[in-house]
Amino acid sequence: MKKRTWILYLAFRYLFPQKRFGTFFTWISTAGILAGVTLLTVVLSIMNGFDENIAQKLIQINGPIKILSPALMPDSDSFKKSLKKAAYVKAVTPFAQGITLLQHFNRVAFPKCIGFDPHSVQQVLPLQQFVEQGNLADLSKGAFVSAALAKEFDFHIGDTVDLYSPMSLEAIKQEELILPQEVPIVGIFKTGWADIDRDTLLLPLPLLQELYGLGNQVHGYSVEVDRKHIQEACTALNAILPPSLTAYTWHTLNKDFLYILRMEKAMCFFVLLFVVMVAAFSMSSGLMTTVIRKQREIALLQTLGATQWDIALIFSVQSMLLGALGTVLGFLCAYGVLSYRNTIVHLLTGWFLPENALWDFYSVETLPVAYSLQDFAAITFFAILVTFGASLFPVIHLKRLPIMQHLRGE
Amino acid sequence: MVAQPILQVNQLSKSFTPPAMLWQGVSFSLAAHESIAICGQSGSGKSTLLFALGGLEPVQSGTIEFNGQRIVAGRYRYTPGISYVFQHYHLIQELTVAENIFMATRLNPSAASPDPSYTETLFSTLGLKPLLNGTPSRLSGGEQQRVAIARALITQPKLLLADEPTGSLDEATGAQVMALLLQICATVQTGLILVTHNATFAQQTNRQFELKDGHLYEKN
Ligand SMILES: Nc1ncnc2c1ncn2[C@@H]1O[C@H](COP(=O)(O)OP(=O)(O)OP(=O)(O)O)[C@@H](O)[C@H]1O
Ligand SMILES: [Mg+2]
Repeated sequence: MKKRTWILYLAFRYLFPQKRFGTFFTWISTAGILAGVTLLTVVLSIMNGFDENIAQKLIQINGPIKILSPALMPDSDSFKKSLKKAAYVKAVTPFAQGITLLQHFNRVAFPKCIGFDPHSVQQVLPLQQFVEQGNLADLSKGAFVSAALAKEFDFHIGDTVDLYSPMSLEAIKQEELILPQEVPIVGIFKTGWADIDRDTLLLPLPLLQELYGLGNQVHGYSVEVDRKHIQEACTALNAILPPSLTAYTWHTLNKDFLYILRMEKAMCFFVLLFVVMVAAFSMSSGLMTTVIRKQREIALLQTLGATQWDIALIFSVQSMLLGALGTVLGFLCAYGVLSYRNTIVHLLTGWFLPENALWDFYSVETLPVAYSLQDFAAITFFAILVTFGASLFPVIHLKRLPIMQHLRGE
Repeated sequence: MVAQPILQVNQLSKSFTPPAMLWQGVSFSLAAHESIAICGQSGSGKSTLLFALGGLEPVQSGTIEFNGQRIVAGRYRYTPGISYVFQHYHLIQELTVAENIFMATRLNPSAASPDPSYTETLFSTLGLKPLLNGTPSRLSGGEQQRVAIARALITQPKLLLADEPTGSLDEATGAQVMALLLQICATVQTGLILVTHNATFAQQTNRQFELKDGHLYEKN
C-alpha cells in the first residue's frame, strides 16, 4: 500500500472504525447531505418533468417546425409537394389564424380562431388527444371550442354560434348588410395549455379563409419532421423557401419562454444548494471537534512521517467521502420518494385539502418526473465541492495548533 | 570495541524565553546499539532535549549529526530512522492493533517492508500476537504501551527516543514494560535514549546522564 493510499484508508477508518458501523458524526453528517441532495434531486426532477411536458405540449400544439411570414403564402399542392421534398420533412399542414367576434344569444366573446386543414392536420399535430367531446374527423363540419370557453358559454355539441370577422367591418363601411357565419359546434377540446384553453376555436381552414377573405392563401404551415433532426430539417426548409418565408423550430419560436424555464431551474438549484451548505456547515463544526480531539494522534502521525499535507488530506478526504456518501444515498432516497410521489402527494392532499382540489387547480393528474444526468453530475459536483470547502476551516485551524506539545505528556 | 557513533551532539543550546537558557552546551555521542538514560527534575528540559534530538524542536545553536547526516532541527521535521515512544500511547482507536503497528511502515516512505522474521521476533518478545486483531480500546495500559513500542520499532529504526514510556503505568506493569523495552532494543539492536524519573530503570541502560541547571552531566 502506498503512503497516499494508506492516508485515504485512514480517512475512511476515521469515519468507519474497525468493528463499528460508522460513528455518530459519520451518520449525522451524511444525513444532512442526504437531506439536501434528496431535496435538490426531487425538486429538479419534477421541474424537469414539467419542462418536458411543456416542451412536448408546445410541439403537439405547434408542430416541431413552423413556416411563418409577414406575407401570406399559397395553399397549393405544388407548394406543399416542394416542402415535402426537403430533408427529414414528413408532412405539412397549412393553417390560418385570427380573432373573430363570437355571438351566442346575447353574449359575445373574442376568441382566437385557428383554421386547420381537416385532411392533413392530424399528420402533423396529434390534436385528437386533446379532444374531450366529439371527433376530430368532424372538423370539416364545424368548430371545436376550448374547454374554458365551452364552460363559460355552456356550449354543447350541436349548438350554433355566430361568428363575425374583420371582413364584416369592410362590409359595414360599404353599408352592406352584415350576415354572420353560423357555425355548429362539433366538439370540445382541452390542451392543458391555459392560454389556448381559455378562448380558442378550432375551425376548418376554408371557413377561416372565407372569414378573413384569404382566398386560397394561408398564414403558415406546421411541419412534421424526423424528431432527431429538427434543426437540420429547419435548415433544409429555409434553403428552399423563398426569401419572404422562414421556417422556425419550436425551440426558436419559444426561446424566451424556454429561457425563463431554465432560469427558474437555475434559481431553484441555487437556493436548494443552501440546504446542502447548511449541512456542510454542521459537518465543518463536527470536523473541527474531531480535529481538536485528535491533536495527539495527529502529532504522532507526524513523528511517523506524515506531512502536514497528509494530515490535511485525512480530514478533507473524510469530508468529501461524507459528501459522496450523502450524495449517493440522497439520489437513492430521491428515487424512492419520486417512485411513490403520487401516493405521497395523494396522502398529503388527502390530509390538508378537499379531494382533487390540487388536481383541479394545477390541472395535472400525476406529477411528471424526468431524470437528467446533467443534473446528477451538477449535484454531485457541488455537494463534493461544498463538503470539501467544509473541511478547509478545520484543516487551516489545525495548522495553527501547537500539536507537538501534546506529545510531551502532562 | 569502538562502535561508530550514530548520534553526535555538539554544544546544543535551547531557549524558549531568551536570554534565559533552558539548557546549553549539551554534547554527547551515542554509539550504535547503545542505550542511555537521561534523568532530571521536572521542568529541566528533558522532553525538549529529546524532541530536539529527533528534529522535532528547533534549537538556538549547536549541531546534531544522526547517522552521518546533520539534523536540521527545524519546525517539526521528520527524520527517517528515528522513532519515538511517549508517555501516552496515542494509538488510533479506529484501527486494529495490527494496523496501528504497521501504519509506521506505511507513513515512512523510506522504510522497507519489515521482514517476517523481524516482525516475528518483535511480536513474540512483546507478547502481542493474541492482541493483533483487536482494537486498542480493549487493551490495558501496559498492553497499549507494548503496541506503541512495536509501532516504533517495526520500521527497524537506528534510534529510539523514549520519553517516560512507563509514566502512566503502575509500578509493576511499568517495570515489566521497561524490561521488555530494554530487551527488545538489545535484541533488534536499536540505539535507545530513555528519559525517565526512575533511577532503577536508568540503571539498566549502558550510560546515565542527568540534566541539571541547564547542563547535561554524565553520571559515573
Ligand atoms: N513551547 C514552549 N514555550 C515555552 N516554554 C516551554 C515550551 N515547551 C516547554 N516549555 C518549558 O520548558 C521547560 C522544560 O519543559 P520539558 O517538557 O522539556 O521538561 P521535562 O524535563 O520534560 O519535565 P517533565 O519531567 O515534567 O516531563 C518547562 O518549564 C516548560 O514549561
Ligand atoms: Mg517531559
